[in-house]
Amino acid sequence: MKSSTKRSTLAAAVICALAAISGTAPAQDKETVAKNREALMKGQGKDLGSIKAYIDGKGDQAQAEAGAAGLIQSTRKIPDAFPPGSGGPSPDGKFAAKPLIWSDWTKFLDIQKNAVSKADVLLAAVKSGNRSTIETAFSDLGKNGCGACHETYREKLQD
Amino acid sequence: MAAFAAMSLILGGLAARAEDGDLVAHGAYLATAAGCADCHTDAKNGGRPYAGGRALTTPFGTFYAPNITADPDTGIGRWSDAQFLNALREGVAPDGTNYFPVFPYPSFTKITDDDARAIKAYLFAQPAVRQANRAHDEAFPFSWRFLLNGWKLLFFNPGPFRPEPERGAAYNRGAYLVTALAHCGECHTPRNWFGATKPSRFLAGTPHGPDDKAVPNITPDPKTGIGKWSVDDIVTLLKDGQTPDFDFVGGAMAEVVKNTARLTDADRRAIAVFLRSVPVAPSSR
Repeated sequence: MKSSTKRSTLAAAVICALAAISGTAPAQDKETVAKNREALMKGQGKDLGSIKAYIDGKGDQAQAEAGAAGLIQSTRKIPDAFPPGSGGPSPDGKFAAKPLIWSDWTKFLDIQKNAVSKADVLLAAVKSGNRSTIETAFSDLGKNGCGACHETYREKLQD
Repeated sequence: MAAFAAMSLILGGLAARAEDGDLVAHGAYLATAAGCADCHTDAKNGGRPYAGGRALTTPFGTFYAPNITADPDTGIGRWSDAQFLNALREGVAPDGTNYFPVFPYPSFTKITDDDARAIKAYLFAQPAVRQANRAHDEAFPFSWRFLLNGWKLLFFNPGPFRPEPERGAAYNRGAYLVTALAHCGECHTPRNWFGATKPSRFLAGTPHGPDDKAVPNITPDPKTGIGKWSVDDIVTLLKDGQTPDFDFVGGAMAEVVKNTARLTDADRRAIAVFLRSVPVAPSSR
């Protein structure tokens, strides 16, 4: 039992090493990247949800604050969620990351950095407790952060 | 007496100018709702507003949106109001040729005369740009413009928007925005073999929209459409591009949202009210 675990760990290490040498992500790996990427975005949706609940008077401030802090963290992780060559469909096949992301990498990063600073503003707004300030920051992050990236770099494959 | 006449002349002139200003401002709002700039500006290649040149890829060929600035030689600067109305409402150019329905005149035919004149006033108040139009690249046999006469006979229903007063002001304003100005159905309604939208599938979405991209069903079907969305949900989408599950729309709809975000809240709400009451048409899958 123990030795088989060891062996599979070794095998995984070898695969990782091979992938690192060849420079291209194996198919399996690409799927994992897509899965993790989707999980990151879905997590962001949840965080936004907790802030929206607070705006609407249905949720509490602490949760909204945690959501905004989570958004800052997850938005910072976006560049790592898009390793070169990881374009292609999302796990559910509904969307795809366009190859344009990597040919436009600096522009892509500009939008991402911009989104991080908008998430910073949102956290400050949530801490202030002023609902109309939060609402403004919330829609700014959504429309000009998340939306700006989706507009150019995400493709809809199926409805 | 003379002074009085001069005074009233000046005042009259000022009033006329203020009226013009109102007309231009009204036209600007309508042009935003109609998204004129989106197709008629080659934003990707740094094109000037309304000077045309954007490539629109369709199954019938690649079309290059024309210059609609007031430049007299390359734009529409010499057009009369009647010619402008004829283009929008009948799909006919001043030289009598038919436009390809990539120009959404099957929707724009419903625009009121006053609104069309306001849009023209707005366009003519923008900087004129001298930029020659690029010839379309139609796929054979669609390059035969005279065939468009037959197409129009079969599929084009000209005529103004007909309100249904018993359904209320919001519904009718929404219907006018959706079916005439914002021409939502041009992307959201599937097309037949001849490229005409299918009335029975109004707003039911299609896997083969512009640029062969999938376009969602926005009828109130709970499973394949937006039947679970409230009026507020639709308003939020039109304002911020945000769906009820906190996703943010991309692609062509992100362009549209830049326009709908600039509409009044009442107009966004009217669109939502209308969309909630169009016939349910489940996506075929």
